[in-house]
Amino acid sequence: MSAPEVFQLSLGPLTGVAFGPDRTQLAVSPNNNAAQIYSRGAQEWDLQTTLTEHDKLITAISWAPNTNRIVTCSQDRNAYVWTQLPTGEWKPALVLLRINRAATCVKWSPNEDKFAVGSGARAIAVCSFDEENNWWVSKHIKKPLRSTVLSIDWHPNNVLLAAGTTDAKAFVFSAFIKGIDAKPEPTVWGDRLPFNTICGEFKAPNGGWVHDVAFTPSGNILGFVSHDSAVNLVYPAGPGLPPQALITVRTPTLPYLSLSFTSEESLIAAGHDCQPTVFAVGQNGWEFSHSLDDPASSGSRGLTPTATGTRSVSGPGRLNNEAFNLFRQADTRGQTKPALAATSGAAAGMTPVGADGLLLTVHQNSITDVEPYEWSQTGEVAKVYTVGKDGRLVIWNVTGKPAGGLPGRMAGLQV
Amino acid sequence: MSNEYAFRKIDIDALDEDALLPSDLVDPDPRGPDGALSDARARSTETRNLVSKGDIAGALTTILTDPPYGDGVDEAKNLTTSAVLLILNSTRANDIPNVIKGLDQEQQAHLMAYLYKNMSALGSGADIPGSVLLTWHEKLTEAAGVGCIVRVMTDRRTL
Repeated sequence: MSAPEVFQLSLGPLTGVAFGPDRTQLAVSPNNNAAQIYSRGAQEWDLQTTLTEHDKLITAISWAPNTNRIVTCSQDRNAYVWTQLPTGEWKPALVLLRINRAATCVKWSPNEDKFAVGSGARAIAVCSFDEENNWWVSKHIKKPLRSTVLSIDWHPNNVLLAAGTTDAKAFVFSAFIKGIDAKPEPTVWGDRLPFNTICGEFKAPNGGWVHDVAFTPSGNILGFVSHDSAVNLVYPAGPGLPPQALITVRTPTLPYLSLSFTSEESLIAAGHDCQPTVFAVGQNGWEFSHSLDDPASSGSRGLTPTATGTRSVSGPGRLNNEAFNLFRQADTRGQTKPALAATSGAAAGMTPVGADGLLLTVHQNSITDVEPYEWSQTGEVAKVYTVGKDGRLVIWNVTGKPAGGLPGRMAGLQV
Repeated sequence: MSNEYAFRKIDIDALDEDALLPSDLVDPDPRGPDGALSDARARSTETRNLVSKGDIAGALTTILTDPPYGDGVDEAKNLTTSAVLLILNSTRANDIPNVIKGLDQEQQAHLMAYLYKNMSALGSGADIPGSVLLTWHEKLTEAAGVGCIVRVMTDRRTL
């Protein structure tokens, strides 16, 4: 595997990230009320424009690849759809969300004719364009939501919508809009699908918040990651029936915040342990396969980040840095030199820390999002990107399966 | 605090007809209070027998299977907690890693929960050996990882 590409886009967390259609443009929100659009330079990303319309923190951004429209949603309870004028400027259009709490997540549907916004108002707003009035209107999915919606994902048929909530549940709904959607083909989730049909309701095994939901590329399996450090997979049996299987992989690591399927039989999850990890169908069903960022095999940080900012070492706001360790050692043990690496003998699932107190992983803080970046000719995901609270954007290769022990790992080595 | 912030003290959930209560987030123990209590009695007796025979692993597996949880089952919880504590005290430090290896993930999480429960009772007058708890905690974290701790912290089905 070749080394990942690393970009330091901000000193603080990145709250919303979306790539443009041809991956040469990038929209991010650096943890404030502005969305920045970057374009790809030779070595780094150059800031092109800043979209300022929101009053409060932008929580999510989605960029439609075919229609080239951006939708942003924010804690100010609004969403805007941005269209690019021939001059290159971006023009906002307000969306009538009608919610009384923050919007938390947004995603364009596969056909790009509607989008869904999750919110703290115990509702999902499914938005479509109203030609007559020239604005975006929304229909609400309310029942049976009883808590904040943290994540949403669209089924490839443009009708079904998955949602993860803070009361430890994942749902599958119909978001059928008359006049936009044709009657959908029956799927394993259901055959009759009027708006707000509940096609499934699943509980996290130990009752943790559901941080992210995702369908497989075919849409026949639902995956969700929850705050009880578990990756869960639902195999539906058919309309009205309990699921065929609800598989839970409990991991020894800190909880995952995001997941993305790379094929029907593998997914990448990332979160508080700062490294994207691959789960795949093995001999015993779904199981942990390998980490894309294996500090043990890459040695002591062979992956040097390419900083676009002035700081290249670490993100701010972390307590676990060199200076902190220095003073802690001086305080607790009377040592004046930094302690040696405490990697050996650590508990299972711990993120390894180097001698200088920095993490040995590329990301220096929790990863908040992992999404496909590039597909191979066979339709499988070849590259994914991750963004984190350390302000870094990292693009990883996922092709080739190095999990097969040493030979697989050796193949990636260059002598 | 000035009046400016007085609104922060208003209980907005009281005005909300559809407020989500903690009890909505967790299903009660399916056995009911009586069922849980009789089950806990049987298990704790069996555990004591196994401990006296020296079968620590068997005793731990027995007591950590379907432990009582939720509200209204305090007696069953106390019985189980003291039985777990008995096992923890009667295990030699060298045997701990092997005993832990014999548990499944669910049982490991339950064991972690009882370790924390006993730690929270330290200093309350009860005779709980803190050092033993710390040894178990160390070995259990090595085997089950920090994910096990996260699951215990997250789970609302309190043991």
